[in-house]
Amino acid sequence: MRTSRLHRVCLLLAVFLIAAVVAAGCSPSGGGGVKELSGAGATFPYPLYSKMFDVYESVSAVRVNYNGIGSGGGIKALTDKTVDFGASDAFLTDEEEQAMGAPVLHIPTCIGAVVLSYNLDGNPDLKLDSAVIAGIFMGSVRNWNDPAIAGLNPGVTLPDLAVTVVHRSDGSGTTSIFTNYLSMTSPAWKEKVGAGKSVAWPAGIGGKGNDGVAGLVKQNKGSIGYIELVYAIQTGMPYATVLNAAGTFVTPTLATVAAAANVQLPADLRVLIVNSPESTAYPLSAFTWILVYQEQHYADRSLDQARALKNLLTWMLGDGQQVNEGLSYGRLPEAAVTKARALLSSMTYDGTPVR
Amino acid sequence: MERLSADSRREKVREAAYKTATTVAAVALVATIALFLVQLATASHASWRAFGLRFLWTTEWNPVTEQFGALPMIVGTLVTGFGALAISTPFALGIAIFLADYASKRVTEPFKYLISLLGGLPSVIFGLWGLIVLVPRIGRLEVWFGTLVHSEALVQAGTTGVGLLSSVVLLALMILPFSSSLILESLLLVPTELKEGSLALGATRWDTIQSIELPFVRKSTVGALVLALGRALGETMAVTMVIGNGMRMPRTLFDPANTLASAIANQFLEATSPLYVSALTELALILFVIAIVINIGARVILRRGVQQR
Repeated sequence: MRTSRLHRVCLLLAVFLIAAVVAAGCSPSGGGGVKELSGAGATFPYPLYSKMFDVYESVSAVRVNYNGIGSGGGIKALTDKTVDFGASDAFLTDEEEQAMGAPVLHIPTCIGAVVLSYNLDGNPDLKLDSAVIAGIFMGSVRNWNDPAIAGLNPGVTLPDLAVTVVHRSDGSGTTSIFTNYLSMTSPAWKEKVGAGKSVAWPAGIGGKGNDGVAGLVKQNKGSIGYIELVYAIQTGMPYATVLNAAGTFVTPTLATVAAAANVQLPADLRVLIVNSPESTAYPLSAFTWILVYQEQHYADRSLDQARALKNLLTWMLGDGQQVNEGLSYGRLPEAAVTKARALLSSMTYDGTPVR
Repeated sequence: MERLSADSRREKVREAAYKTATTVAAVALVATIALFLVQLATASHASWRAFGLRFLWTTEWNPVTEQFGALPMIVGTLVTGFGALAISTPFALGIAIFLADYASKRVTEPFKYLISLLGGLPSVIFGLWGLIVLVPRIGRLEVWFGTLVHSEALVQAGTTGVGLLSSVVLLALMILPFSSSLILESLLLVPTELKEGSLALGATRWDTIQSIELPFVRKSTVGALVLALGRALGETMAVTMVIGNGMRMPRTLFDPANTLASAIANQFLEATSPLYVSALTELALILFVIAIVINIGARVILRRGVQQR
């Protein structure tokens, strides 16, 4: 009796195993009335997208699944054509776009900013410029009482304390914004370090993610690190005012961050807005993008799916923008929205525009 | 008669089914390992072609210029792994011997429970504890030592506390439950007759432990240590939180460094360039090979030990 029960259990297990293998082999079939879209990519806008898609589901009954697996993962997923859209904090290089095999549209969704957060007694308001920031992160400005820092901060008593540099250890859009800014403004940085989502840091210690960097900064007196504005606002960490290209010291706020996009934007919106010439702009600002194929008939996608995707993106550029500021993400300026709409209208299905 | 043959036929079918099922499971295991190797090797092909063997001993890791060398991470992995093993092994042996031979059963049981509890803690908890509690203390120790030997460089490296030393200490703690509980289990399996015989011959308790029990459990002890080392080499989350994630070659134990596992976990998600991804995959391949070499090494040591006896 007992053995036969065991036998049956084994059989059942075997059946489950086979079922699992078979299920893993099949892909879920798409099509029909589109109730669901899926995307994957950047973690930076993840809170914004979650909220936006939540609101969108209530107004349109289309559910959007977004996985914050990182920009690299999002690009990979779009290349493999397993998602409707990817999301990235850095626009695709020409080389990367070529690897995608088909033209990709970059639709910006919000403007983010990187701030320099520090841990000093009394939380003084610090002013920094790109030369000092580059000096600190290259390890040449080593003490807080260095004349280079003191010169920008008259009236602030700076301690005789070693500067501890904290950077991101994981590849990230945040690092890309930060290093692009330094490469653009400091020739020494450009030559020795360069720009990218991950670079060879000449100095300091690395923390994983914004929370990793913030944790190390909070724990070490005299440390300075770069984190996203959203994260600094949410955790109440102090951050520096930075000299912009127009020669004004600007505190990062949603308004000064959005102002960075008030520049001549290229039609494809693949543009870095760091070190913006706009007089009120905070210099360490950048777009984050949703990536979609221009030609929507790929894999076995239906016209309905393409339409649903276009509707979603149109909404994100319109009503969806109201979500941005509540969550501390910069709103897209009108000029950027107009150009993004033009990009959306170039979406095609079998060569004819998607309507 | 008829019923009997039906029974035996069913028996045969069942026997065949079990045999097939277990064979499939065993083959699947071997195939998985082989597939791992093949996949890692194919995926790291681009990096192999670009850097060749140089990948193993160059120290520059620069995603911007796409120059990749794995030596700092190989060193970080080996130093943290073996360092942790060196620190935790005496404690593991001590704990196991105490619980097996000196402590009463009333003490042993709750201790065993505590050890397995410690072993089951998720590594992120160890990491958090390490970052918040251990790292500042190690930092103070490092600064104290740096001042003692008048080394400005050591003081500076030690200020934050994160680095190789913190990882070694944290990993030592993390692998302690594994090695101590495995050694304890095998010590408890030493036949009572052997111990009693030794004591009857006039040996002291320590003599018995040294010349009867420890030789008896040597094989399983080495096995336990290899398992513990494997865990230390592959640990990712906790290490990432306390090692400082420096991609340059560490010069002292106080410097920030990185391990193979931690570097992969940190950088893989946002790596987009094919060569970069390939170099990261090659790191995984190296970690895989290190694990295999250590396992084979342990086997060789064991076999030699047996032959000498």
